[in-house]
Amino acid sequence: MGLPLPSKVLEHILSFIDSNEDRNSVSLVCKSWFDTERRTRKRVFVGNCYSVSPVTVSRRFPKMRSLTLKGKPHFADYNLVPDGWGGYAWPWIEVLAKKNPLLEEIRLKRMVITDECLEMIAASFKEFKALVLVSCEGFTTDGIAAIAATCRNLEVLELRECIVEDLGGDWLSYFPESLTSLVSLDFSCLDSEVKLSDLERLVSRSPNLKSLKLNRAVTLEGLESLLRRAPQLTDLGTGSFSAEFEPEMFSKLSKAFAECKQLKSLSGLWDVIPEYLPALYSVCPGLTSLNLSYATVRMPDLVGILRRCWKLQKLWVMDLIEDKGLQTVAMRCKDLRELRVFPSEPDLDDVSVALTEEGLVTVSRSCRKLESILYFCVQFTNAALVTISRYRPNIKCFRLCVIEPFAPDHITREPLDEGFRAIVEGCKDLRRLSVSGLLTDKAFEYIGKHAKKVRMLSIAFAGDSDLMLHHLLSGCEGLKKLEIRDCPFGDSALLEHAAKLETMRSLWMSSCFVSFGACKVLSQKLPKLNVEVIDEMYPPESRPENSPVERIYIYRTLAGPRLDMPEFVWTIHKNPEVGVSNLAIK
Amino acid sequence: MEISNSCSSYSSSSVDSTKPCPSESSVNLSLSLTFPSTSLQREARQDWPPIKPLLRDTLKGRRLHRRGDDSSFFVKVYMEGVPIGRKLDLCAFSGYESLLENLSHMFGTSIICGNRHRKHHVLTYQDKDGDWMMVGDIPWEMFLETVRRLKITRPEKC
Repeated sequence: MGLPLPSKVLEHILSFIDSNEDRNSVSLVCKSWFDTERRTRKRVFVGNCYSVSPVTVSRRFPKMRSLTLKGKPHFADYNLVPDGWGGYAWPWIEVLAKKNPLLEEIRLKRMVITDECLEMIAASFKEFKALVLVSCEGFTTDGIAAIAATCRNLEVLELRECIVEDLGGDWLSYFPESLTSLVSLDFSCLDSEVKLSDLERLVSRSPNLKSLKLNRAVTLEGLESLLRRAPQLTDLGTGSFSAEFEPEMFSKLSKAFAECKQLKSLSGLWDVIPEYLPALYSVCPGLTSLNLSYATVRMPDLVGILRRCWKLQKLWVMDLIEDKGLQTVAMRCKDLRELRVFPSEPDLDDVSVALTEEGLVTVSRSCRKLESILYFCVQFTNAALVTISRYRPNIKCFRLCVIEPFAPDHITREPLDEGFRAIVEGCKDLRRLSVSGLLTDKAFEYIGKHAKKVRMLSIAFAGDSDLMLHHLLSGCEGLKKLEIRDCPFGDSALLEHAAKLETMRSLWMSSCFVSFGACKVLSQKLPKLNVEVIDEMYPPESRPENSPVERIYIYRTLAGPRLDMPEFVWTIHKNPEVGVSNLAIK
Repeated sequence: MEISNSCSSYSSSSVDSTKPCPSESSVNLSLSLTFPSTSLQREARQDWPPIKPLLRDTLKGRRLHRRGDDSSFFVKVYMEGVPIGRKLDLCAFSGYESLLENLSHMFGTSIICGNRHRKHHVLTYQDKDGDWMMVGDIPWEMFLETVRRLKITRPEKC
């Protein structure tokens, strides 16, 4: 071997490497590379907050400036994880406050964070710049006020789809007059009205403000006033886009939008009434991202907007767009990369919207760059899936939710096995897949065999037997996250392929037929994993070996058993005689 | 509508018959494996289809005035002192002005929104939380989502 690289040189080289995947590879080369890499890593990502202890992370990356943490499993988004399961931010904040005071950015997803945590963040990190909370809960607007009041260099404050106890709109007035560094503010998930004059002043003194996402309580008048003060915005989330139509208001609004020449992304638009939509026309040609998922307007009005958005790359819309509206999208939005179509009527009985599989086929045919799809639809066909895969082999993310569980191909009445076969065979770069509709074990044989690069797989109401899981766990080489609900498989495949679980980040199963006995065996076979049985109805220790458990969550961890498990979560480490292990959660 | 095959399939031959079968006699913890067939049962579901809570709540609020072909939403209107109420289709109005005009016609007296007035009748509404509020305090679209009943009060009462 030649001379080793001086660490200063190596440090310099590594400063060009941003991707954590690459950095993880770098750190495996040899001890000195591991050491140099860890001393220089600034942005740290932890995909499962229970996979490693805060102390370990803090120690390994002393120069950490940004930490991203994810807590609850993904199915928590759909109410499948009981309250109180876990995902607490406190243990992390507590350690970081002491050991990494130069931390500038905290990004949390699906975690529980209290006002005390927020206060500790505000008090401990003098250079704190960015707080992004996605799908988090556990705090009130008082905690937000603490951040606003104390973080003198705050640039980013984003509350995305959080469940916040809203004590009023006062929090906004806690931003001091001296704070002029704001770049991004998102309070779209809060209910209470903030004082418009405070917001106007804040916006006026923030020349770097690029992204502003208002909550529903901000009126059209308020919006117009804010836009006048911030024409430099690139990302806008409007408040309620509704009022009795007044020509004066309309023309003021149109003018204000026309001044926003850099606007790239638009969202919000709650309660939008069609008469006000044309006020947006001037910004449409510049938009690359449009989120209409709260805009319950009909297809003709949607088309009026969409036909002008010829640079659109990302579109989120309700199924009110119908097949016809998607035809317009196919024709005009040639740059489209991501499409999400949400259901406007979650109750199956009332679905009356003319959105079928044809809509998605049309867009897939015409939009060559389309690579990410989330589509809610009442029914689907194999032919449509085959066509989509033929036209768009470049699809990386395919999530189809056939709203009617067990719905077969509505023309041939066959299962959708062959359709999904085409998807996984044809789309060789597929990273994420959600399947639905009537599916037999055969579908999973195809998925296991061909979905080599799929990292995340979501399955609901599908399959016939243990074979389904056997196919998945013996194939799917790239699988990292598997989440399954309401599928009729039991213990055997899981026990047979236990070793596969060590190569994955996590496995979630709910309402399947895995027995408590199998969970115990798995726990013994996989000492490096936490095998959690989550069952609200019966304390697991009290049940017979062969009774099926409500939910299982299995994940890799270096941190050993967690100490904050509530009563309804069991792992093998809990001693049934002694009782539930406890941790005082702040 | 099919909710057919899931229940029976796990007792078919494709499953290893030496394994313990999910018990049918004890409390059926696998209830959710079948999908509820009535809409009443389904309304209670908070976990299907897989949409996030904020979207689910937004849609719930919308549901009442988007029934059927979205063309009607009837509420009861009472005037204080008059025992018989009337039924009104709120979708027929474009906003508060036309609502008031129509009501004034219907009850043969001038009715106003908002400010109390010693001489005029004032329109109030009961929202989805059961509270009585002054009509006109929120945008029309939001009003449609939350209104349950209307009441026209006698002048001095307000």
